[in-house]
Amino acid sequence: MKTPSIGTLSFGFVGATVVLLLAIGSPNSRVAPPPAAPTAPPPPSVSARGFSLASTSVDLPTDEGQYPAGPHADVINANCTSCHSASMALNQPPLSGDQWTAEVTKMREVYKAPVAAADVPAIVAYLTAMSTKQPGAAKGKAQDPDPKAAPDVSGGSG
Amino acid sequence: MKLAQATNRRRFLAEAAIGSGALIAAPALAQSMVDLHLPGGPSERPMTSAFPGKGNMILQRIHPPLLETPMSVFNGDVFTPNDQFFVRWHWADIPTAIDVEAFRIKVHGAVTRPLSISLAQLLKLPRVELAAINQCSGNSRALFQPPVAGAQWRHGAMGNAKWLGVRLRDVLDIAGVKPGAVAVRFGALDQPVVAGGPDFAKSLSIDHARDGEVMLAFGMNGEQMPLLNGFPVRLIVPGWYSTYWVKMLNDIEVLAAPDDGYWMAKAYKIPDTPGANVRPGQKDFPAVPINKMIPRSWVTSLDEGQAIAFDRSIPLGGIAMGGDCGVAKVDVSTDNGKTWYKTVLGPDHGKYSFRRWDAQVPLTHAGPTRLMSRCWNTAGIAQPMTPIWNPGGFMRGNIETTNIVVG
Ligand code: HEC
Repeated sequence: MKTPSIGTLSFGFVGATVVLLLAIGSPNSRVAPPPAAPTAPPPPSVSARGFSLASTSVDLPTDEGQYPAGPHADVINANCTSCHSASMALNQPPLSGDQWTAEVTKMREVYKAPVAAADVPAIVAYLTAMSTKQPGAAKGKAQDPDPKAAPDVSGGSG
Repeated sequence: MKLAQATNRRRFLAEAAIGSGALIAAPALAQSMVDLHLPGGPSERPMTSAFPGKGNMILQRIHPPLLETPMSVFNGDVFTPNDQFFVRWHWADIPTAIDVEAFRIKVHGAVTRPLSISLAQLLKLPRVELAAINQCSGNSRALFQPPVAGAQWRHGAMGNAKWLGVRLRDVLDIAGVKPGAVAVRFGALDQPVVAGGPDFAKSLSIDHARDGEVMLAFGMNGEQMPLLNGFPVRLIVPGWYSTYWVKMLNDIEVLAAPDDGYWMAKAYKIPDTPGANVRPGQKDFPAVPINKMIPRSWVTSLDEGQAIAFDRSIPLGGIAMGGDCGVAKVDVSTDNGKTWYKTVLGPDHGKYSFRRWDAQVPLTHAGPTRLMSRCWNTAGIAQPMTPIWNPGGFMRGNIETTNIVVG
């Protein structure tokens, strides 16, 4: 559709409010269901005042990616591929052992990753070895977060 | 490693298979690799167009999707095409089908009339359209030095669109906000994939929520938005970082006490210091939820690492944003910031939009050349020369450099 020009398309809002209060009602006063759809389907859509929204269904790619082979790859693959792609960890800049410990702690404590405490050292060892192999490897510098405090300090994300 | 099209989005922990450790090279869905020129960590990413509603994007993560917009896209129209608009989800339980007749937005909490709003009803409310930039809090995080953990974006975790929808204030007024309300929390259809994981929700102060600018958008650049950008309805918070622009919004809760949920109280927090800047490693700083954006600008007519023939003067173009207000002016330099030249600003699409800038600038010598642009916003704030640092990698806004080679 042609987009209206930028800015506010104004309407008499007081009037609209009254109409809408009647139209929307409370969660319990639903409008009667629409009549049964005809057999041949364009995707169902709703429209009003020149704009339509059509039901949508998509397929999202799944990720079969694994952590590359190396000591403890089996442990990290068993623990760190379910919630997100391995690339989330593999794309990180080189981090120190303390930083990786903070990350794994955050996964367990904040995001409730079902990772056994016994598996943590192997996972941290795998990730730290990976970081050491990167060109700009971290040497345990000033930016190391406190492994315990990290989840509470920045929380991260974005 | 193959890209299965099967999509049991609740596949999940049961299948955390122990692999033999195939090398993470370009996944099968990658058409090619791109170098993001990152200083700290792995710099190469696959390019992919395997995602629904999306064209060629930089693949940061398949599951859940993190897709970055290639910089060249920003050299086109100041409005980012929907099919190249960046994508960012936290939890992988993302609905893959939306029935527009069944979808409802619940409005509840400290209101006199709890509502359950259908899309048909939403479409009948008074409409507004606004041009606004949606930029991830961690955009450009991969350039932080020393590096920080998090999604390793270059500059493409941002986009500009014309958002069509209704004012949040109007919806809240229909529900009737009770006296004593302090904030409004926004929840969405996506869910944590483990029990007890923090469900993504963000909140705004009641005054901000009722400022008449915050919108519930259903249209993006004249079309319904791609599912991956939040179909059918997403929150638009002009001038604020994208973390507040909740996608697949289906729950609006008016709160009588501040939001102490994880995503407000712990995550997305910045140092409460000038420019959100602290000394690398510093821990003892007060922190506040990230909020308003700051001025930024980029050269887009030439790519990082590009080689060009020597000429006494060259055309240079790019984009700028004011942050929480408009762009006042943009200057550019071709000599590492020693000499600055004025640029001509393109059409003004409103204070929250990207603004195109163009200039004809001299080149003094052949060889490696550092191009820079500097934006002043209408509040008089200019981009600083020196990068900030904070542990979350948030709010980068310094003058950016594009390195080219003049032959
Ligand atoms: C219970 C689900 C879950 C599991 C299991 C999990 N993570 Fe995460 N992880 C998350 C979430 C949620 C995020 C934040 C995602 C985002 O911001 O997009 C995240 C983010 C990350 C990040 C980015 C930096 C950050 O702090 O946001 C890294 C690195 C990471 N995870 C590594 C791991 C490793 C290593 C493991 C295995 C020990 C693991 N994850 C297991 C849920 C999980």
